[in-house]
Amino acid sequence: MRSARLLAAMAVLAAWYPHQAVAGEGPLVPEFIDETQASGIDSVFEGEWEFMVGGGVATFDCSGNGFPDMVLAGGEAPAKFYRNISDRGGELRFAAEESGLEIDHVAGAYPLDVDGDGIMDLVLLRVGENLVMRGLGDCRFEPANEAWGFEGGDAWSSAYAATWEEGQDWPTIAIGNYIDRNEPMEPWGSCTDNWLHRPASDGAGFAPPLPLTPSYCPLSMLFTDWNRSGRPALRVSNDREYYRGGQEQLWHMEPAEPPRLYTEEEGWARLRIWGMGIAAYDLNGDGFPAYFLTSMADNKLQVLADVPEEGAPAPRYDDVAFARGVTAHRPYTGGEIMPSTAWHAQFEDVNNDGFVDLFVAKGNVWEMPDFAIRDPNNLLLQNPDGTFEEAGDRAGVASFYTARGAALADFNLDGRVDLVVVNRHARAELWRNAGGELGNWLQLRLEQPAPNVDAIGAWIELRLGDRTIRRETFSGGGHVSGQAGWWHFGLGAAEGAAIRVIWPDGQASDWSPVEANAFYRLRRGEPPAAWRPG
Amino acid sequence: MFMNRLRGLVALGAMLVLLAGPSLAEPAEGRAEAVLQGWYGLVLQLVRHTPTYSPPVASRSFAYLGIGAYEALASGRPDMASLAGQVNGLSPLPDRMAGAHYDDAVILHAVLAQGVGDFFGNTGPMGQRAMQVARQRFGDAALSGVEAAVAARSIAYGEAIAAHLLDWSQTDGALPIVNMGFPFEHAFGRQPGSWVPTSLVRQQQFPLLPHWGETRPFAMAHGQACPLPPPPAYSEVQGSDFHREALEVYEVTNALTDEQRAVARFWSDDPMLSPTPPGHWVAIALQLFEREMPDAAFQAETLARLGVGMADSFIGCWASKYEYDLLRPITYINAHIDADWQPLLITPPFPEYPSGHSTLSGTAATVLTAAFGEDVAFTDATHERDGLPPRRFASFHEAAAEAAVSRLYGGIHFRAAIERGLEQGRCIGAHAVALAMSAGR
Repeated sequence: MRSARLLAAMAVLAAWYPHQAVAGEGPLVPEFIDETQASGIDSVFEGEWEFMVGGGVATFDCSGNGFPDMVLAGGEAPAKFYRNISDRGGELRFAAEESGLEIDHVAGAYPLDVDGDGIMDLVLLRVGENLVMRGLGDCRFEPANEAWGFEGGDAWSSAYAATWEEGQDWPTIAIGNYIDRNEPMEPWGSCTDNWLHRPASDGAGFAPPLPLTPSYCPLSMLFTDWNRSGRPALRVSNDREYYRGGQEQLWHMEPAEPPRLYTEEEGWARLRIWGMGIAAYDLNGDGFPAYFLTSMADNKLQVLADVPEEGAPAPRYDDVAFARGVTAHRPYTGGEIMPSTAWHAQFEDVNNDGFVDLFVAKGNVWEMPDFAIRDPNNLLLQNPDGTFEEAGDRAGVASFYTARGAALADFNLDGRVDLVVVNRHARAELWRNAGGELGNWLQLRLEQPAPNVDAIGAWIELRLGDRTIRRETFSGGGHVSGQAGWWHFGLGAAEGAAIRVIWPDGQASDWSPVEANAFYRLRRGEPPAAWRPG
Repeated sequence: MFMNRLRGLVALGAMLVLLAGPSLAEPAEGRAEAVLQGWYGLVLQLVRHTPTYSPPVASRSFAYLGIGAYEALASGRPDMASLAGQVNGLSPLPDRMAGAHYDDAVILHAVLAQGVGDFFGNTGPMGQRAMQVARQRFGDAALSGVEAAVAARSIAYGEAIAAHLLDWSQTDGALPIVNMGFPFEHAFGRQPGSWVPTSLVRQQQFPLLPHWGETRPFAMAHGQACPLPPPPAYSEVQGSDFHREALEVYEVTNALTDEQRAVARFWSDDPMLSPTPPGHWVAIALQLFEREMPDAAFQAETLARLGVGMADSFIGCWASKYEYDLLRPITYINAHIDADWQPLLITPPFPEYPSGHSTLSGTAATVLTAAFGEDVAFTDATHERDGLPPRRFASFHEAAAEAAVSRLYGGIHFRAAIERGLEQGRCIGAHAVALAMSAGR
């Protein structure tokens, strides 16, 4: 009965909410407070040329209290783990702890419950041997390469994505590798093989990795169901600085078959950029993800060129970055006029207005004089008409350090998305989203039986008025930075919403009403269960 | 094959070491040629990977580096005349000390090390690292077996030549290159048929290097020494010359053969994804050197003439481009023939007439024909490592003609820009050929 009332109330909201948003004077700018100094986070991504890319962060809850903890890559220095000791709604506080993750030459990190035991594991991308780190509970980790048959190799690893292929008990992990670091005079054209770690045929751990060739020096990878076929493909964003004959890539991933590239005949159009990061979200409400690709100077925002009434779309994309105001090609503050260099990108609704926003981490590669040295991060707030406007300076996140990886996550569980940014040769920065008059919100955590306990590859759908907001629950993308835990939605003025989950195997849950400003655990086959911190 | 050789800069370093290894009592023959080709191999990579290196900027560096290489050798050979006083603004270079012994390979290395370091000082971190390694490896090899006093004298002399040329380069009006050559404002033409932006890239909403045509040329007296007649009068009337040209682009590109598609891609030579069009022609010259094995003096002279000619071709071409300020095929065809039409190649972000690749190729073919002769057949494997198979040509002019028409297949130029661009290029190339450089060559 209560649910029915909630749904009825939402229907009423549908009539006025979008109009209210349009009538305002641009999106509401959240106030981010830099709490780096007091937070306890003290980590620098250090290193010479082998660490000019990378510098990631992974956020995940390993303490079981719902608050995201984090590990920060240190480059030549050991990675650092921080337990989240923030109070709900309070200032951000972290405590450095020994966790087993104090490993050097780490460039990036992604959380993934590899063995499906309900305890979060991690994949560490390294300049050297990659490591899968088994979670032991209470934020302790140990290397599991040998136990799980994971061949970490010896490369300059720079990208990661994971998925559960149909019928498999173990994940498939794609690793992107950068240039051959033993080619000092001829780095160009020396892209080393990417690897595809598929499950072993005996069902225990991983088989020896397949070379994912041709390999074109990726800096981001993402398993994503771009055509909503129910079977994710592998999207790879490659750095044109170093490849020969390369381009952006999309791989068919058919079970038990070798990966196969999408071709021009299938509609895939050649695009060659300094690909550095991928963010994905259904921006058009058409049910398909749009992809923001970071690069140098102009960035790209790709939406499907044609969504047919019936049948599958072709992988042909229009670049709407200019039209939507997200080229983010040049610093917007600080006085520099040279082009920008963009790395991590992530869509999240930072002002909770129901329109997802875009954060882009910026930073010069390494004293390149033709690109901005003081290159502020972008916080691009979405307007109801689908355009974005820059608010990084007004929000307080326009840092001029040399940013690389980042994560937007609600560290103090107040419903507002906070921000951590990894900087090269400078301390990582942490901002608390102190809000202002932000909208309502909702955070969801997906749970299903092993092996894919966190339901990687699901789609969460949320009805908000006459709109349906959709996001894919992926593991990968960004720039060497990944997250696990709560999936956040802004609701604007709505006091509730209806949600459902398309689970990774394609089965859809029923639509269920949920209240605003709350956390829900979505266990497969069960109604949403409210959750409260502490 | 050729590009695999170029790729082997490390191997080249090893070859230099073998040429001049410690087991040899005297400095080995062939060091100067190896130094020249080694540095040029690296330069082709740096052109591709340095963000400011649009084709005009690349041509400028090839001119100065070519002149540097030439002067390094000409300073010690009575049969090679200095370009001082022949090319605009170049004052006499430092002389070698009378009676003192110098080593040509060491001078050449010093000039190129200094010059490459300066012209590519803005390249990325891996390019910086490669230059550092090249300086060390090529330097060690060039110096091996050379008496210390001679080596020191030769290095100092080479650095003096480089400094002189770099000072000269600062006065040509080309610098600085800001925002990768795209201005922050531009007075757009208001005539029907004026160029308008064609790109979705924000940086390219203003045209590339609009004042490049005012840069000081090398062998031409001024940027409009080889002027062009105007393009066909702009018209939107069916049956007009202009409409017919646009219709030709539309129809040809809609019925491309595999061969035409391959031609368009082969000569696409996109900045940041290739050594650019002038780099492509330098690569052709290096392939001819590899096959013909001429001496270092011939190579340096050819690279100097080629660099001078190509730099002048971009100055002349750009002067004409901004004089006529013509729109691109995509603008016209989308507006008047087919709103959905897209060309095969990415339309360059600057006015259409004449075609830069056509002017450049007309020049390059003229220079290389003068150097190697008419009807010299060759195979061009410049893009082999990028997956584009080698192409065979009966002559340099045949290659130039193919480069020119590739722009029609690519859908980025009308025919007049192609044909008249070639004519303009041949005219500009003649200025480079006319330079008095080597006696009896």
